[in-house]
Amino acid sequence: MDESEDVPKDFVKLKSEKLSVDEVSELVISPYCGAVSLFIGTTRNNFEGKKVIHLEYEAYTSMAESEIKKICRDVRQKWPSVKHIAVHHRLGVVPITEASVIIAVSSPHRAESLEAVMYCINTLKASVPIWKK
Amino acid sequence: QVSVLYFARSAELAGLRCETLWVPRQVTSLQLWEEIVKVHPRLAVIRDQVVFAVRQEYVLLGDQLLVLQPGDEVAIIPPISGG
Repeated sequence: MDESEDVPKDFVKLKSEKLSVDEVSELVISPYCGAVSLFIGTTRNNFEGKKVIHLEYEAYTSMAESEIKKICRDVRQKWPSVKHIAVHHRLGVVPITEASVIIAVSSPHRAESLEAVMYCINTLKASVPIWKK
Repeated sequence: QVSVLYFARSAELAGLRCETLWVPRQVTSLQLWEEIVKVHPRLAVIRDQVVFAVRQEYVLLGDQLLVLQPGDEVAIIPPISGG
């Protein structure tokens, strides 16, 4: 890897296979960054008093990707020192305790990446066209 | 003409996931919804939970004027619950 080419990148993926924390965090690692912050959303075993065995996610994929990219743009405006952003969301069936979404953000110091990750997940839940079937 | 994509409950009620519809070039978002309901009357029951998107931007059902181009994508989405 050419270190001078460490251009900030957004990695957005919607996939039906199991998500990997290693894979997502490795995407954002950078020699210029001392912090990588991670959020993992996992399927809980209860929802509104009912037992849950798995959740099934569906998406309007083209718009979901463009909305997630908008979130990345917003993040870079609010926290200009953020380096790389990765958002992976799983579609289809997600059994309990498995990850439905993983968000990773890198920045030189920890405050920005921590705040950016929180912003990403909160905004994703409010605005990205993905739903539980 | 526009492409209409139906998701989740709207796909079940309409009986299909995707079709081309002819609609006026300039309509309010509410009028566009009503054109779609004319073709699939069963969709009327979900009106209060529907999320509408035109050209991949959210649109509220109301007086917002839309200027549509041939091939524009209209999507009928359920309330979102991702993450």
